[in-house]
Amino acid sequence: MTGLFKWGGRKDEGPSAAPAATVAAVAEPLSTSKILPKLISVLSHVESPILMDLGPVVGSNIAFFGEQLACKIFVEDLFAEVETRARRGAREELAEALVARLARPPASVDGILCWDVFDYLDRPASQALAAHLMKLLKPGGVLYGFFGATQAELKHYTRFIVDDIHGFRLRQSPATPTKRNVLVTRDINRMFEGLTVAESVLLKSNARETLFRKPS
Amino acid sequence: MNIGKSVIIKGDLSGSEDLTIEGQVEGKIELRQNVLTIGPNGKIKATIFAKAVVVQGDVQGDITASERVDIRDNGSVDGDLSAPRIAIADGAHFRGSIDMQRQGGKVETSKPAEVKPAAAPAPAPAAVSVAR
Repeated sequence: MTGLFKWGGRKDEGPSAAPAATVAAVAEPLSTSKILPKLISVLSHVESPILMDLGPVVGSNIAFFGEQLACKIFVEDLFAEVETRARRGAREELAEALVARLARPPASVDGILCWDVFDYLDRPASQALAAHLMKLLKPGGVLYGFFGATQAELKHYTRFIVDDIHGFRLRQSPATPTKRNVLVTRDINRMFEGLTVAESVLLKSNARETLFRKPS
Repeated sequence: MNIGKSVIIKGDLSGSEDLTIEGQVEGKIELRQNVLTIGPNGKIKATIFAKAVVVQGDVQGDITASERVDIRDNGSVDGDLSAPRIAIADGAHFRGSIDMQRQGGKVETSKPAEVKPAAAPAPAPAAVSVAR
């Protein structure tokens, strides 16, 4: 019975735990997407697709993808894992922690929304995560990634709020500062070797949006 | 009906009237025709079946609703959600899966801004029962 008293309080899960009022007060830049319509198009041909969102839960995104795809969505906020390790100064644990968090059967997911999570990981963690995500994808499944291109210290996380099928609002929340893991196109493609690049777009911001597809 | 914050229930809880829980429940909650509200002080470790569920407190367990699930901005859910309409407010904590069933070929969804307050508890004569 005493265990009942230990449930209290919200989880200390980094960016997810940021008060809504704090983040909502900041201006939210818009980012158009040429990749999102393709992802929707591919998944709309799948009956009751399984989607995995690696970002913090965003209610309007759940509504959007549910409406567009009638899908089942798994929310696995990897940014929370990143922030927890960053605060503890234990980023080297991330490779193992991220793979452990995404313990699901192989070939069980039709679509994965990575957002910009790779910007926050070191090379070993990036490679471990990419390899694991490729295993989780079903044949024909797709993976969305957003990769920053400028060497910079990242002081915030970004929530991608899907406005409509053509773009996002980018909502920021504070992060423990970390140097961006800049991946050039060759690195990205090598990391996801085994998947095909369905489409890759260089944005005005120099960031790159890429849609990978697992061969059927 | 209200379960106050000093109340702790271990076991199955079922009933036929709307219910607000501010206390702690561990087990299973069934209000298949009614609205269940987990208040800000509510701490639930249970599988939940209801017509509609509003979460302002903490829930560890799966939630199945025939109409809707609303997780408010201070709500926290670790579990799987299944309902035709699901709204998750900014600032809410959620970890699990979300399954919005098709209804007549179309999925009904609502955005957080459209979240409405939970229905006021109906003055129904039926009682809530607890099975231990």
